[in-house]
Amino acid sequence: MTTLETASAPATTTTPALACRGLRKRYGDVVAVQDVGFAIAPGQAYGLLGPNGAGKTTTISMLVGLLRPDSGTVLVGGTDLAADPTRAKAKIGYVPQEIALYPELTGRENLRFFGRLFGLPRRRLAARIDEVLDLIGLTDRADTKLGTYSGGMKRRINIGAALLHRPEVLILDEPTVGVDPQSRKAILDGVERLVGEGMALLYTSHYMEEIERVCERAAIIDHGRIIADGTRRELVSLVGTADKVELVLDGDVETAFAKLRAVEGVVEAARTGASSVRLIAEGGRYLLPALITAVEGSATVTATQVIEPDLEATFLHLTGSTLRD
Amino acid sequence: MLRALWTVSALELRTRLRDGTAIVIAVIVPVTLATLFGLALGGDDPPLKATVGFVDLDGGEFPASVRREVMAAKELKGSVTLRDLPSREQAGRELESGAIGSAIVFPAGFSESVGAGKGGDVAVLKTPESPLAGVVASAIVDRISAVVDARTLAVRAVLRAGVPGDQVKELVERNGAAGPAIGLADDPLAGGKIDLSVYYGSGMAALFAFFVVGASFRGLLTERKLGTLDRIRAAPVAAWVPVAGKAAVGFALAVAGALLNWGASVLIFGSTWGDPAAVTVVLVAHVLAAAAITMLVTSRVRTDAQADGAIMIVSFVAAFFGGSLVPVYNLPGPLQAVALLTPNGWTSKALTELAGSGAGLAAVALPVGVLCAIALTAGGLAVLGFRKGLLL
Ligand SMILES: Nc1ncnc2c1ncn2[C@@H]1O[C@H](COP(=O)(O)OP(=O)(O)OP(=O)(O)O)[C@@H](O)[C@H]1O
Ligand SMILES: [Mg+2]
Repeated sequence: MTTLETASAPATTTTPALACRGLRKRYGDVVAVQDVGFAIAPGQAYGLLGPNGAGKTTTISMLVGLLRPDSGTVLVGGTDLAADPTRAKAKIGYVPQEIALYPELTGRENLRFFGRLFGLPRRRLAARIDEVLDLIGLTDRADTKLGTYSGGMKRRINIGAALLHRPEVLILDEPTVGVDPQSRKAILDGVERLVGEGMALLYTSHYMEEIERVCERAAIIDHGRIIADGTRRELVSLVGTADKVELVLDGDVETAFAKLRAVEGVVEAARTGASSVRLIAEGGRYLLPALITAVEGSATVTATQVIEPDLEATFLHLTGSTLRD
Repeated sequence: MLRALWTVSALELRTRLRDGTAIVIAVIVPVTLATLFGLALGGDDPPLKATVGFVDLDGGEFPASVRREVMAAKELKGSVTLRDLPSREQAGRELESGAIGSAIVFPAGFSESVGAGKGGDVAVLKTPESPLAGVVASAIVDRISAVVDARTLAVRAVLRAGVPGDQVKELVERNGAAGPAIGLADDPLAGGKIDLSVYYGSGMAALFAFFVVGASFRGLLTERKLGTLDRIRAAPVAAWVPVAGKAAVGFALAVAGALLNWGASVLIFGSTWGDPAAVTVVLVAHVLAAAAITMLVTSRVRTDAQADGAIMIVSFVAAFFGGSLVPVYNLPGPLQAVALLTPNGWTSKALTELAGSGAGLAAVALPVGVLCAIALTAGGLAVLGFRKGLLL
């Protein structure tokens, strides 16, 4: 694991809204999560970035008390989840990866059901439901059956159901999967607003842009382990000053790829499709002519894109694979 | 925690009632089936088979003629068998082992006592195991005592009239109050009539209770698929809340369904199930057992579709072997023993007992106890299963 000295680490005097240490979970032969630990301060947004099967959902299931870890501890606002689950769970707003709502109930009825489970008194719950509906922008559809909603609308209710009790920490497991751009924007705006109001956030995704936009700190998780964590800048600096270069090739891509890897300055190389490759290269934008020359004879470059360092580049750098394949 | 429980139950109840199949399965289908069976097979006495022990310590002519009469009565032909036994103790043992269903004991000196106008007591040994045989023995003894009463009266009258003792017997017999002319011809089971409408009514109620209560546990698996179960579990509620919230509704619906089946049987056939309090207790105990068994089944499967199949199989197996579909007394002996491995068997036994007599709660203490024991065992195993799957 790459650990960084961080200037922006949360002050140790405040109790983290959510902290875990040494989490480990095994399914038969598969170790889904091992030695996962981090702390999120109140009002801080923390990202968990990892490809499919990395162990994000397994980690979250242990954080919200759905899965008993083989070892490790979870503290929610200082309360030990294993010792006092009811008290700890009351501080968490958990948004499952899949939509988990009753299709035959209306949006409002769904919210009311889950709100009651958190013990909100009737009157206050009714008021909170209105506020949450407003926040997720579904006031006008609140009284129609959930089964008739679009995917994006269901996603928004899915999140809303976790907000009614004003949790200290909101845990979102890939909240924007399969969502239209409009709903996605609404979700991200809403989440940013909540963080601005002081809610702690754990946000998992394999969408780099979302983590980069929403989270000030993030961990990169792969094969059940956190392989790096820190602020966005710290993580990106792990790749050095390298740029990401994407090329679309026409011709003998295999041979061209091998030639590209050998170009001086290319740090990492990965195939991203039948005819596309992605390179991490020192000063990539100045290297373009060299790259185009390198493939001559086997292929021609039909499109290029140069991206300055980002989390995706970091991920590629750390794991040698892309986040989405 | 109670509020959370109520919240889960309220949603379950609402879902079940909205989905009209709940009422169809709880009431309409079982009542219809019970009615069809009842009509098709006639609302008559069930085919009766009883072995009655016959202990003649008297050796006189009275017991002998009772035996003769019973053997000759064509109404009892093929259904009542008399077995001679040497002693009351032997009868008790045979009763215990189930070889006989009841016994009639003539004490020593019985004939002489009756002949002298002093009357006499015939004992009936019964066991709750075979209510029907008990009813038969009681009916026979009822007739005997009527005859004995008449005979005693006649003897006394003759004695009163000043006839010398040694001529009394001859006089009484000559004038009609002869041997025990037992009138077994009409209604041999007065007071003990169990009609098939009760049998099938209770059988169907017992079968469908499984489906009604099982649907709640199946619902738990549906919620697991929906993801809402995890969501409830992530809320600050105890781990047992989702299971208990649903189980409570399934239980209430199944009890209500069974009671409605009873009510319908009374309305349609005018049948009597017996002491209402005792019938209710038996039905509640049955639903408890059915709840525990279906919970056990659902705790061992993965999907709601599997639960459907498994509940269906278990319900029908229990119903068939427990005599809810085919009366147990029509099955061969070994299968009759198997019936007692099912809640349906015990429920049927208890309800038959209640309908066949004026017995109350005490008479069904054993079946009710067994039903509760089944519920506890299956429920305990289910909870262990849940711990690995649906709970933590
Ligand atoms: N119930 C389970 N039984 C067996 N293996 C499991 C189970 N749940 C998860 N796994 C395995 O554990 C690993 C981590 O899975 P997990 O769902 O946590 O990944 P994830 O990061 O959430 O992936 P995704 O982005 O696809 O949601 C995977 O290899 C997965 O196959
Ligand atoms: Mg996941």
